[in-house]
Amino acid sequence: MNKAQKPNVMALRLATYIMLTLLAVVFVFPFYWLFTASFKTQAQIFVTPPHWIPSHLMWSNYTDLFQQTNILRAFFNSVVTSAGSVLLSLFLCSLGGFAFAKYPLAPGNNRMFAFVLGTMLIPGAVTLIPTFEILVHIHWINTYWALIVPGAVGAFGIFWMRQYMGANLPDDLLAAARIDGCSEFGIYWRIAVPIAQPALAALGIMNLIGSWNNLMWAFIVLRTPSMYTLPLVIYLMQGEMSTPWGMLMAGGVFTVLPLVIAFLLFQKQFVAGITAGAVKQ
Amino acid sequence: MNTSSIPGGNQAGGSRINWQALWKYRHFYLFVSPFFILFAIFGLYPLLFSLFLSFTKWDGITAIHWAGLYNFRLMLHDELLWRSLWNTLVIGVLYIPPMLILAFLFAQILNSQWLKLKSLYRAAFFLPAVTPMVVIAVVFSLIFSSERGVLNYVLLMLNHVLPFFHFKPIHWLDSEQWSKVSVAILVVWRWTGYNMVLMLAGLQAIPIDYYEAAQLDGANAWQSMRHVTWPLLQPVFRFCLLLSLLGTLYMFDEVFVLTNGGPGTSSTNFGLYLFNLSFTDFKFGYASCVAYSVAIVVFGLSLGINRLNRRNSEGA
Repeated sequence: MNKAQKPNVMALRLATYIMLTLLAVVFVFPFYWLFTASFKTQAQIFVTPPHWIPSHLMWSNYTDLFQQTNILRAFFNSVVTSAGSVLLSLFLCSLGGFAFAKYPLAPGNNRMFAFVLGTMLIPGAVTLIPTFEILVHIHWINTYWALIVPGAVGAFGIFWMRQYMGANLPDDLLAAARIDGCSEFGIYWRIAVPIAQPALAALGIMNLIGSWNNLMWAFIVLRTPSMYTLPLVIYLMQGEMSTPWGMLMAGGVFTVLPLVIAFLLFQKQFVAGITAGAVKQ
Repeated sequence: MNTSSIPGGNQAGGSRINWQALWKYRHFYLFVSPFFILFAIFGLYPLLFSLFLSFTKWDGITAIHWAGLYNFRLMLHDELLWRSLWNTLVIGVLYIPPMLILAFLFAQILNSQWLKLKSLYRAAFFLPAVTPMVVIAVVFSLIFSSERGVLNYVLLMLNHVLPFFHFKPIHWLDSEQWSKVSVAILVVWRWTGYNMVLMLAGLQAIPIDYYEAAQLDGANAWQSMRHVTWPLLQPVFRFCLLLSLLGTLYMFDEVFVLTNGGPGTSSTNFGLYLFNLSFTDFKFGYASCVAYSVAIVVFGLSLGINRLNRRNSEGA
């Protein structure tokens, strides 16, 4: 690096910093607005000029939220369905990916894998109605299963795990385990899964974002308030006539916070997961 | 699952189905079977059933009536369908260029070596991509509120700084002209970070030698961006474009929560239209027909774009 930098380079960098910071503030602002509005009264939320900083932290929106709505139940439902879809999909995708990567001589391996990839071209919009009908017939409407099972093994997950295991799982290791008397499932469970942890983390996060945020499918298949997930509760809190804005914002914070905390803790894996999701061409 | 080892070396040759090999690799078939079973139930069967439904009239409850090509004829005269496709196009045109340009700028800046606090900036731009759309759309409806929204307040404040523009309060959500713009702004906010991360990955894949070579040849920053970065980032760029186009078509949460397609049908995109057709009107037959037709057209188009993509990248 050139030590004696020209002043105009420094000026350019300063300008870049200022612009970048300004834009970052704009991008973070809705979160800030959500958070502060959750501590305001209805009147304070809509006051002009706006209260940029709430005068004091008013907790009544949160106490209302817990007393007037079933938000804890919704939180529980969201946790169960998200954890269920993430775990089931991680298990089945890694098992399938392991098989495709490590039994290359199995007759039909390549053709079956090509088929798996081909299924990625099917848009969800086309299969929506029949899938709904199936769930009606097997009485899965208004159950956790409806949110967990239909999307459990994505073609992309299998592709992703196959790529990772193919590149990072030495055949010698598997052969040695076989000689030691390890079963095929044991090889997958005790050798492949631990080695594939980074790939599993990325895939899991991708699935987590999808299932935690899922509104449309929850809207279609959930019927009774006791089964509602967080996004659905938030959506339905908006009234035709009047909306309890403060409480709605508190509910929003409650819905957003788990993912934001997880994101700040595992930023690297989140980025890897999101980027991974886009590799499917 | 108690077989301890795979016997090696006794391959029976033959061109017929090799049962011995199938048995030898039974674990392979067992391990991949969940995908194929679930796909048969929730993928293949729905695909065929919805093809069948395309030729029927059905509300999901009463008997299915064969309708022949009626649904396809209906599509031609379905104003709302064409309106929703038009709206999709307009929303796409409104948000895709600014989003991709912004994402490229962010990626380019975040990729420079002198920048400090990279992960902080990245987090700020990327956070929207992980948050539940429904919450964000609700916050945006507050921000966009025409009487007391923050956005209009800031706009009016700008009049003090830029007196020539005479900004007036904008009816972001309750006017037909602006509802699409509001959706577009929300989408830019939500998806710029996502595209930025994709482009950042693309930028980091460009070997540093290329830049050094360009520098040796006397290229300035602009020239090396124009002649090194730009051409090498083309595949990523096209990929982002394709994703955004498909995303606009099937976008749902953003529109559903922010405007619910209104006022009137001014911001109804295809995704919301299809949802309403299916789960508000319960026209399962017609909805299947529309979903299928559009999917086939889109498939053809993306095949075309992909081919173009490949030809161009081979030429580079």
